[in-house]
Amino acid sequence: MNKTGPVQHWNLGIGPINCHAWNKDRSQVAVCASSHEVHILEWKNGEWVTIHVLNEHDLPVTGIDWAPETNKIVTCSQDKNAFVWTFENKTWKPELVVVRINRAATCVRWSPLENKFAVGSGDKLVAICYYEKENNWWVSKHIKKPIRSTVTCIDWHPNNVLLAVGACDFKNRVFSAFIKEVDEKVAPNPWGTKMPFGQLMSEFASKGWVHQTLFSPSGCRLAWVSHDSSLTLVDANDTKEAKVHCTPMLPFTCLRWVSENTLLAAGHDCSPVLYAVANGDFKQVCKLDVQSAQQSTTSSAREMFQSIDKRATSAKVDTQLKSLHQNTIMQILAHSGAPNNVVKVTTCAVDGLIAVWDLKNANAQVAH
Amino acid sequence: GMIILEQNNRILYDLLEMKFNNAKEGNKPDLVDVRFADFDGVLYHVSNPDGDKTKLMVSISLKFFRELQEHGADDLLRREYGSAVLPSPESGYSVSLIYDLTALSDDFTDTIMKVSSLKRHCFASVFEKYFEFQEAGQEGMKRAVIHYREDETLYVEAKADRVTVIFSTIFKDPDDVVIGKVFLQEFREGRKASQTAPQVLYSLGEPPMELKDQKDAKVGDNVGYITFVLFPRHTNKKARANTIDLIHTFRDYLHYHIKCSKVYMHTRMRSKTSDFLKVLNRARPEVKVEKKTITGRSFNAQ
Amino acid sequence: GSKRLERPFLKAFRSCRAIMTTTLQPYLDAVRVTLEAALCLEQFSSQVVERHNKPEVEVRTSKELLMTPVVIARNKQERVLIEPSVNSVRVSLAVKQSDEIEKILTHKFTRFMCQRADNFIVLRRKPIEGYDISFLITASHTQLMFKHKLVDFLIHFMQEIDKEISDMKLSLNARARISAEEFLKRFN
Repeated sequence: MNKTGPVQHWNLGIGPINCHAWNKDRSQVAVCASSHEVHILEWKNGEWVTIHVLNEHDLPVTGIDWAPETNKIVTCSQDKNAFVWTFENKTWKPELVVVRINRAATCVRWSPLENKFAVGSGDKLVAICYYEKENNWWVSKHIKKPIRSTVTCIDWHPNNVLLAVGACDFKNRVFSAFIKEVDEKVAPNPWGTKMPFGQLMSEFASKGWVHQTLFSPSGCRLAWVSHDSSLTLVDANDTKEAKVHCTPMLPFTCLRWVSENTLLAAGHDCSPVLYAVANGDFKQVCKLDVQSAQQSTTSSAREMFQSIDKRATSAKVDTQLKSLHQNTIMQILAHSGAPNNVVKVTTCAVDGLIAVWDLKNANAQVAH
Repeated sequence: GMIILEQNNRILYDLLEMKFNNAKEGNKPDLVDVRFADFDGVLYHVSNPDGDKTKLMVSISLKFFRELQEHGADDLLRREYGSAVLPSPESGYSVSLIYDLTALSDDFTDTIMKVSSLKRHCFASVFEKYFEFQEAGQEGMKRAVIHYREDETLYVEAKADRVTVIFSTIFKDPDDVVIGKVFLQEFREGRKASQTAPQVLYSLGEPPMELKDQKDAKVGDNVGYITFVLFPRHTNKKARANTIDLIHTFRDYLHYHIKCSKVYMHTRMRSKTSDFLKVLNRARPEVKVEKKTITGRSFNAQ
Repeated sequence: GSKRLERPFLKAFRSCRAIMTTTLQPYLDAVRVTLEAALCLEQFSSQVVERHNKPEVEVRTSKELLMTPVVIARNKQERVLIEPSVNSVRVSLAVKQSDEIEKILTHKFTRFMCQRADNFIVLRRKPIEGYDISFLITASHTQLMFKHKLVDFLIHFMQEIDKEISDMKLSLNARARISAEEFLKRFN
């Protein structure tokens, strides 16, 4: 057991948080609380304060991404729309994107160069959106074939062209999202050589709905988690065969590479787990969590009687899980460090918490 | 508690007691005009005949009184109530009794008890008649058929060694048939607990063998037949009054307890459902307004 | 402590469709682990109808969003049907009914509860065919409530409903016996 420093966590008091995004210097965070609103909070005098509410969607928001360099936010929602938000004159100004989808948008991600973004959709397609200077608006091109169900997750390769797409058709695929209007020619890489728009570069079967798929910092590895409680690794430099790592845990919903060889996965079991790549497979390093959370044992008589009345028990303690998060973790983001040496990550969860995890000592365990 | 239904009508008893006491205390008699119902569709009317406040008239209406008259109800009522019985009852009623409030005996408790048992005495004639047949060893007498409620019938028959009383009854709700069966099974087994009790038999859906010649006896899933076999120990002159008291309330007693069981089950279900809701509520996080400040805790890499 | 069953995620939902266990504790344990897995739900918009977000296990419009249903049975009568989907799970119970009385008591009780389904947000208004009571748990419910406590509730319900029905039957029998005896002993 190694002490690894305090886990800062905040209950933002706005209900389940299904996604969040940090600004470049981590002084602000955009969160979506299972509603049509996006809250932007700023750290002020030791407290998170809502400084803006982005209120343009009319159904729950499903994705947020905050481009560090351009400082633009992109949001998407069950209402089929996506907006690009620009900070001007102290307010966030929305621009509607012509996504052209007829079902919910499920996820959104800026490309590494921030000149385009991808929107996954229940329309069984991915829309690649870019800015058309002539018309002054965001337009999109669709990648449809051969996706046969809702797209649940997307991730850009560091080369700004390849896109990993996970879906409910039990497939994880790598497509080319090359847009000639904005992209330079790309160099051949282990995933392939010819990369016209929409080209299916690789396709991997999964035994469950794919919840998140992510390229490693170098872009040579691809990892994904799916609903059969597995974690899968593909190494494009190696055999390019999917190596499935089954776990006895409840399914993971999200993951994050914290170096080229290590990643964190988290989900329905409410605790992040650190994995290392060893011999082409994943090996569990450790589970990150706080010690069994002790709830305050003193409660007022009124609280106690209220509890007896509502729950037929005066005990408060037994409702707590032993983990820090009390409900499904929805997302892990890198907070500080370099892409191949992430020092801190943040998690958001259905329990309404955002937590910052310092990985210094956890990473140290990998060496042993 | 396990209530044995009273033989008399409580409302009638209380009303008469109040009026009789009022008269006895020499207070000015007031106008009376009260109507109320009893089990088996029985109606009572208590009033002042021709507006004469010094007299009190108690009338009862039983839909099946004509059938009881065939078995000597009139004679029995005259025996019990004497000159109080009006030769021709109030219009729309079966029997009327009249009492002069200015000429009450000093102890009128027995009178009140008797008047409030009017329904019981109407019923009594048919039982008494067949108890007599049995006592006299007269067999082969025509079976008495009393349609004591709509769709429910009472059959009385005498043999030399027994009187058979059969009730047909209707269970309104299909569930009542099942619950009723539980009760009837216990009535059938009841003799094990008290040797002096009559033998009780039942059949559901169709009439028992004894009624096979009774063409109009009802058949159907919701019909039940309960047979009491009364032996001389129940029908003899000494025991008879008690036997009649009990047996004429049987049908109401049975249905009353079925109803009480359902009320009890309902209460239990309500309370258990509320318990379940409380356990479900344990799944809801307690709403706590936490400050959005840093709460630092050490975590372990396990 | 009791031996923890392997979470039957792969096992139950992929390879076999029925688990049979006759003794109570392993039966409840099997139900618990299956429920824990089945309650891993997420918000999911319809890919068939625009701007809709309905329980997929009910609308059944996309086969790939439904998982193989699992039946966990203790005997022919007592069984649980768990039907998971991407955003909702239906849990149906068949309650032990060894005679007519238990049958009507079960029916009365479950009907009574269903009439109060508004308070019991996870209760389905109608049980699905072949079962006495059904629960419908959606991603919105698991967002609002602790999953492990929802599982506790369902297990508690399974245990208590049997107990309650047999207690109600006992008290009905007792009432019937006492009322018959009270009546009959007055004959002399």
